[in-house]
Amino acid sequence: MRNRYLVPLILSLSLFSCGKKSDGVELQDWNFGGRPRLIEFLRQRVSSFEKTHPGITVVQSDKSWNMIREILYADFSAGAGPDIMNTHANFAAEFGEAGYYYPVNKFPDFEEVKQWYLPHVLESTRYKDNYYGLPSSAIAFVLVCNRELFDREGIAPPKTWSEFREAARRLTKDTEGDGVLDQFGLVLMGGDKGGFAYRLIPFFLKAGVDVMSDDLTTIRFNSPGGVAALKLMAEMYQIDHSITPGFLAYTHSEINDLFCSNRVAMSIEGPWFRGMVDDKSPGKDMYVVPVPVPDDMLADYDTAPTLQDMVMYSINARSKHLNEAWELLKYLRNEEADMFWITEDLGATAVTKSALNSRAAQNVRDLPLYINELNHARPWPPHPSMIAIASNIFAPYCQKAIVGELSPEAALEHAAREAQEVIDGYK
Amino acid sequence: MRKFTPYVLLFPALLFTVFVLVYPLAQNLINSMLNVSLIKGGNQWVGLHNYGRIFNDALFWLAFRNTAIYAVAGTLLALLVGLGLALLLNVKVGRVNDIAAFLYTIPWVVSPVVAGFAWKWVLNDRFGIVNYWLTNAGIVKLGTSWLGDPHTALLCVIVARVWQFYPFAMVMFLAGLQTIPQEQYEAAAVDGATTFRKFFNITLPNLKSVSSVLLVLGVIWSFNDFNMVFVMTRGGPINASMVLPVLVRELSFVHFDLGAGSALSIVTFALLVSLSYLYLKVIGGRDPA
Repeated sequence: MRNRYLVPLILSLSLFSCGKKSDGVELQDWNFGGRPRLIEFLRQRVSSFEKTHPGITVVQSDKSWNMIREILYADFSAGAGPDIMNTHANFAAEFGEAGYYYPVNKFPDFEEVKQWYLPHVLESTRYKDNYYGLPSSAIAFVLVCNRELFDREGIAPPKTWSEFREAARRLTKDTEGDGVLDQFGLVLMGGDKGGFAYRLIPFFLKAGVDVMSDDLTTIRFNSPGGVAALKLMAEMYQIDHSITPGFLAYTHSEINDLFCSNRVAMSIEGPWFRGMVDDKSPGKDMYVVPVPVPDDMLADYDTAPTLQDMVMYSINARSKHLNEAWELLKYLRNEEADMFWITEDLGATAVTKSALNSRAAQNVRDLPLYINELNHARPWPPHPSMIAIASNIFAPYCQKAIVGELSPEAALEHAAREAQEVIDGYK
Repeated sequence: MRKFTPYVLLFPALLFTVFVLVYPLAQNLINSMLNVSLIKGGNQWVGLHNYGRIFNDALFWLAFRNTAIYAVAGTLLALLVGLGLALLLNVKVGRVNDIAAFLYTIPWVVSPVVAGFAWKWVLNDRFGIVNYWLTNAGIVKLGTSWLGDPHTALLCVIVARVWQFYPFAMVMFLAGLQTIPQEQYEAAAVDGATTFRKFFNITLPNLKSVSSVLLVLGVIWSFNDFNMVFVMTRGGPINASMVLPVLVRELSFVHFDLGAGSALSIVTFALLVSLSYLYLKVIGGRDPA
């Protein structure tokens, strides 16, 4: 009698467990973020890969850029995840250390592939002795200046902190004459803690501050240079009122709107900003210049480091098709594919020597500046906890200092102490 | 065999319950007593240490205070608005009632995420309609940042919560109003009672059970509300509008401190179970009339 119930149950469960069985190899490719044109390009590229690599099919999924860590942590820790994915290069440390990313230098032709890229850019994918991905595109954080407002005021983009503060002060004004400030010198992205940290740290780096010691054991961002950088922002906000009062609520969209409507004159951004502004306000022009340096470092204006951020493509160490994934990775990131960053304005800089030296590259706006900045830029230190520290500790304490809840010294001391506890705990 | 038939029929539902309720809850309880490291792998038993960390964390108490304010103030205000509109709608003036009832219930059917984004723009310091009106009326200066100011951010999410919850209260109150026997009002009129006295001596007492249910339900739902706060402020600026559900997410998926995140969710769960018990008591003791 029991079989009357068991057999249908087993049959039902078997039916649920049945799936399409493919003779070839199926790769999962997760694409995080990207402008629509880039996503379209990636679809075309994958389609072309499938034609030239019979037997391999690629299933592409688009995911939120803001949820990379959540999504990948959840999947990796469950033993799942895609075969290949694009992420911040900073994750080389975090996921490389955890064994989630496969060291691509283990592939026999890696040395040959390595030659495609600018050496310092490729280095961002390295953690300890391994490379955990191939560079996709690079970003250097710069100062963008609203050309219309600067020209109207008759001032040039600032090079030093004094010039920067003065420019922001002059460009903060009551344009409607109603006694209310409605145009501001600077906007910061306070509504996104990660975005805020990425935009503030270039000032620390330009002042020669090390975020961490070289051996990655000691937090250093609370050094005098760091305090000076934070003090600059705090004074601009509290004394000059030249930073938008509502910055703590702002993310990309608000900043873009304020810039396009001439409500702010300056913002710390990257190569994506020109395209974003152009989408909303076609033809609106801007000066794109390095982030200013402390007054006594003017001689280093062109060489002082800013923050480098990079996107890389990596392979899941648990992929069952490592070789096929490597083939796809190379196809997506080879010199031919990299030319797309030159021919289209996609919001980041190409990373291969051939693309950057191509004739077409000469027509890309701001490219020489970005290349120069990238030559000197530094990424976040490659500690597995660094990104969490930047977003969850560094950013909130610095925000408290800017709005006056803590002094810059106290804020950085608190932040450094908490960050050091995280670093020590990690050991 | 007939003896087992009910169990066989119940099996799929039980299986579903185990997978979606019992297993996650049990795993969460276990996680709350572990030092869960997704990076390094391996979990270390730490007993009640995560609970101790939470209760010693000033951010937990701030989030708890904010959650309580958000839930209680948001619900009470929504009930007041809902009651006011229900009283208006209870006055029969033809099709106007139907149109007004339709319009008033719109916030209820809007997705909380969509509503959160809409409120974010409504309250935008430079382009928001609120600042436009208030500036024109000379009440505030243009650029007043409601969501960017730690002193006003929580108030803003409460206002948004009221906007979203009042239609439910209104519908419930309206149903309650329509069950009040007209004889009571007629008798009061004969006795010469004023409208004011009728409201306090007849209407409100008759709505007591509806109000109790709404209050408890509203507090439970607000206590558990993640969407509105997350979309509008993410708990900021500088944690000024941090509430418990957003803090659970922050601990679990931003700090990846799953042990602390699980412990906090268990604490929140315990609070919600207590409120649900209160709700059942209220429901149980409700006057059937």
